[in-house]
Amino acid sequence: MPAEKSKVVLVRSARSVTKNGEIDAKATSALLAAGLCLLAGQKDAAVSLAGYVQPRQKVGIKVNCLARRVVVTQPALTEALVKLLQEARVKGEDIVIWERTTDELKQAGYEPNMFKSGPRCLGTDARGVGYSSRLYPIGSIGSLISNILVEEVEVNINLPVLKDHNLAGLAGGMKNFYGAIHNPNKYHDNHCNPYVAEVNALPLIRKKNRLTIIDCLKVQYHGGPAYNPGFVERYGGLILGADPVATDVVALSVLEKIRNAHGRPPLKREGRHPEWLMTAGSEKYKLGNASWDKIELIEKTV
Amino acid sequence: MSEAGFLLSRRDFCRAAAATGGLVATGGLGGAAEALAGLGNALTLQTTTRLSAVEARYYDKLEHNEIICRICPRECRVGDLERGYCGTRENRDGIYYTLVYGLPCAVHVDPIEKKPLFHFLPGKLAFSIATAGCNVNCKFCQNWDISQFRPEQTRNVDLPPERVVELAIKSNSAVIAYTYSEPIIFYEYMYDTAKLGHQRGVRSVMITGGHISEKPLVDLCGQLDAIKVDLKSFSEKYYQDIVHGELKPVLDALVTIKKQGLWQEIVYLVVPTLNDSEKEFKELCQWILTELGDSVPIHFTRFHPTYLLKNLPPTPTATLETACDIALAAGLKYVYIGNVPGHKRESTHCGSCGKKVIGRYGFYITEYHLQGGVCKYCGKPVPGVWA
Repeated sequence: MPAEKSKVVLVRSARSVTKNGEIDAKATSALLAAGLCLLAGQKDAAVSLAGYVQPRQKVGIKVNCLARRVVVTQPALTEALVKLLQEARVKGEDIVIWERTTDELKQAGYEPNMFKSGPRCLGTDARGVGYSSRLYPIGSIGSLISNILVEEVEVNINLPVLKDHNLAGLAGGMKNFYGAIHNPNKYHDNHCNPYVAEVNALPLIRKKNRLTIIDCLKVQYHGGPAYNPGFVERYGGLILGADPVATDVVALSVLEKIRNAHGRPPLKREGRHPEWLMTAGSEKYKLGNASWDKIELIEKTV
Repeated sequence: MSEAGFLLSRRDFCRAAAATGGLVATGGLGGAAEALAGLGNALTLQTTTRLSAVEARYYDKLEHNEIICRICPRECRVGDLERGYCGTRENRDGIYYTLVYGLPCAVHVDPIEKKPLFHFLPGKLAFSIATAGCNVNCKFCQNWDISQFRPEQTRNVDLPPERVVELAIKSNSAVIAYTYSEPIIFYEYMYDTAKLGHQRGVRSVMITGGHISEKPLVDLCGQLDAIKVDLKSFSEKYYQDIVHGELKPVLDALVTIKKQGLWQEIVYLVVPTLNDSEKEFKELCQWILTELGDSVPIHFTRFHPTYLLKNLPPTPTATLETACDIALAAGLKYVYIGNVPGHKRESTHCGSCGKKVIGRYGFYITEYHLQGGVCKYCGKPVPGVWA
């Protein structure tokens, strides 16, 4: 666990999601820029990103499109991040927006050639991509890893969406890496504990993932992880952090607050509290700070 | 779409089996559909990238489009757009679907002895199929490149039940075997194929780890003719740590199969240092004797390092012989050693007079001294299904 406090930023904007439930691209872009500046202590968002990604590096952006619609990583947010990366001198053709399948990406609004300046949108199932030929032991299980993470990219930015999860309790940053392995169905026993921690402890993920930005523009606060229209909150927020555990701790608190506001009980009472978060922060895995006294939360409304 | 052609006659099969172990329709991730060289093209398999959407059996609907699967003791609670542990059943808007109906990723013709079933139609061929997926995750799985994959990650062939039966008949297979991965996860496909097979005089056997709930098992027994159960250990801890399953449901399944009157044989893969203690062998054999009787064949088979257990050596033959001795001393009558070709314990000895009644080398019958299931030497019946 890091000795220093882990900085996590929660930014919100009432303008990022319109009354009709549409994403305001401009407001979302401003929200992202504000969040990055707060996280890095800089005035310029591209300069802030440069603290996590070097110019000319090959950068992956792992989005989450499992729900196919509404509660997916919003394409407008991803586009804003791509633009900032390019301003930080990452070449367009060195950026890969990726997910498990191309079909999931398409249904969520990502077209393979949606960017004119080079970034690609790729499912691991795309022709010529696939999973590693090497089997990676992960705890007591074994998995093949997406070749996008293994071979294509040097660093990764995790860009998931905040959701309730019927088994894991929380689907935020760390759970999103279930989309990097070929057999996520083997990792859901015991409410995903310790499996989320084990997947994220994989050196490949630990080393390459530099930053987590959780899309909380629309939050599936109950009935997830698929889209369940009765339980979506237009929250208009983003959570940003370099410590994946601390970032998810903040995400959990946001999820619980929204649930509480809608009269839903704490996840613990439903037997779904994400114990894997404490596991991830434990001495055994040392993936980050799970304790609030080791988290510096900066909140701002833009 | 691509095509894989293969021909099968018994003579061809024997030649091919000696060289390669059967015919192959698929490999794992990235594998190409292929045919065995030299077998001609009388039978053709079509590969396909589509998945099935046949409603699964044995599940309950819950709130918010969740479902709970009742096919196996794992009882996966599956959210919308998610899959169960097996990776082959998917929840779509609160309806649970099997994605592998009619879509095997492995198709071979094997000797029935390869399953192994030693007291069930010896010398007959088994038209053998498997789909992707499994409801456990054994660290020693020999077929992990299909069992631990999702169906969209394997190369599958379009083989509906009618076609399976047709090919079984064309290949002179007396039996259809559901095997290689875990047939319980393609229950619907297996059930319908077995039912259709019976209508056309082809019998069906399941090669399983035995993780199945009672109701589906009882229903399935009505369509099957024999079951081979891999009892992987007699320890709950081993099941938790090495198999990612539970022992108790497997023991329950063995008792249920006996109650249903179906022929069953047991395989126990002996893994050095993990499930090879004399104490465990004794407890296992005593349980079999008490709960299933002395006539259930048990095969102690040799482990080979693979998948997630590459750090252990193959099982010493002496350990398998110790297991055999313990089983015989406990009173079990039909005890075998597997994966040690040429070992004397590959053969069947009469439970009454002790004479060799079926000689075997590997999967092949070298001598046969039963008449209508009766020992030629002493005239006592040897339990099994012989015709």
